Amino acid sequence: MNALEIKKLVKHFDGVYAVDNLSLAIEKGKIAAVIGPNGSGKTTLINLISGIVPIDSGVVIINGVGARAIKPYNVPAYGITRTFQEVRLFNQMTVIDNILVVLTERNVFGALFEKHSAHHLKRVEEVLIKVGLWEKRSALAQSLSYGQRKLLEIGRALAMDSEVFLLDEPFAGLFPEMLKIMVAAVKDLRASGKTVVLIEHNMDLIRELADHVVVLDSGKLLAEGKSEEVLSRPEVMEAYLGE
Amino acid sequence: MDILPQLIVNIIIAGAIYALVALGFNLIYGATKFFNLAHGVIAAVGGYAVFYFAKTLGWNVYLAVIIGVLLAGIAGYGLDKFVYLPLRKRKASNMVLLVASLGAFTAIQAVIAILFTSQFKTLSYSVGTQRIFEIFDGVITQTQLIILMSVALITAGLILLLYKTRFGKAVRAMSDDEEVAKIVGINTNRIIGRIFFIGSAIAGLAGILVGFDTGIEPTMGLGLLLKGVIASIIGGVGNIYGGVMGAFLLGFVENFGIWKISGEWKDAIAFALLIVFLLFRPKGIMNK
Repeated sequence: MNALEIKKLVKHFDGVYAVDNLSLAIEKGKIAAVIGPNGSGKTTLINLISGIVPIDSGVVIINGVGARAIKPYNVPAYGITRTFQEVRLFNQMTVIDNILVVLTERNVFGALFEKHSAHHLKRVEEVLIKVGLWEKRSALAQSLSYGQRKLLEIGRALAMDSEVFLLDEPFAGLFPEMLKIMVAAVKDLRASGKTVVLIEHNMDLIRELADHVVVLDSGKLLAEGKSEEVLSRPEVMEAYLGE
Repeated sequence: MDILPQLIVNIIIAGAIYALVALGFNLIYGATKFFNLAHGVIAAVGGYAVFYFAKTLGWNVYLAVIIGVLLAGIAGYGLDKFVYLPLRKRKASNMVLLVASLGAFTAIQAVIAILFTSQFKTLSYSVGTQRIFEIFDGVITQTQLIILMSVALITAGLILLLYKTRFGKAVRAMSDDEEVAKIVGINTNRIIGRIFFIGSAIAGLAGILVGFDTGIEPTMGLGLLLKGVIASIIGGVGNIYGGVMGAFLLGFVENFGIWKISGEWKDAIAFALLIVFLLFRPKGIMNK
């Protein structure tokens, strides 16, 4: 079963096609890596799926539910969450509040009068222990190091308990210890049946993690398939990986 | 007679009035990141609503105050819903929103002048003779005491709302990064609408209390807005604590500044203080 399908997706900016008639299918419970040179449309693809930029035409099908116009605040309701290439946190809030905020009730009275339930607080603790930030829970997000910020961002995504995780270069710039935590978190997602779409440049990590590789070029699909098979294609290696 | 005690009372009262305006202004700025100039005229909406219901229709004054506060909130919410939200959806810049808010200010002020004339009016007549209290050697009226209590209650209420509720967390998250707030499921436009209601209701209360203290006129919003904005900037725009601190600092500098000179200098001193802050600490006292 496919967790995420994209059919004839198009997005252009001032006549330049960032995503050009792209169709894809990502199987549930797998890790799919999206690779390609700069400007190939990888981040735009994630921005389209997460509603950050509106779709010009085409459709995104998430867990069988089709959407042509996705509002960003409805993205969690579709079962999707994402991280950003440049880490984006709620900087003026504490580490714990950065996680708690995604567990906020959506109704007015619940939001105003309910305290966070024990269930939510337990979930926050689990997530922060998992990403190694429990000790930092009372620190402001802006005081964290770059790597810690990346881990907090993935922690926020984990807390949302979505079905599909769109991760934009989650491993970039991480020290080995933090990289281990991040890799383990991504593997755990797959082990628990979640689907991960990963934009990544590190080929060793892609070989280690990805079940499926999608290669984009100028917004078009150049190649896709099992990672070993795609990564061994000479034209992919030569044109995009410089190997 | 020593005027120092009265001067101190005046500082506290002026600071409290500016704080009331700055609180709502900062709340809205924190969520939207644009200068909502219409905030000033919303204060006038509150004042005139009480004038209409209490003095023209003769309703109970307390009921009129509640209606005035609610109407101001609804006016602010309506402005967001019908003016700012459509502009935000069209990706309008903050400069466009600011100009739109100036337009809204002028239009609402004109409507108030058409409905109620430009003449100065008082509200206090309808609540009877004001009680006056003596504190040390200074005097303070009942209305001024209510202004002080309102500032304390509203400041505490806003802090509780922003830091102790999940709604507040969503507001703070949105204030930090609106796009990410959306991604985690926060309907930011809905939150902004509610913030406009709350901030504008506070502005309405400010207008009502100033109306009881000194009277109302259609242009009252401009003076209140300017002092509220100066207080917000010197305290740290968007910061609730900063707005209150800035308001009392402004009240202090203004009133001490005119201790030995004419009261006409008050506005000049206020704007001199603003310029000093813009030059040397543009982010204000609280924002780093």
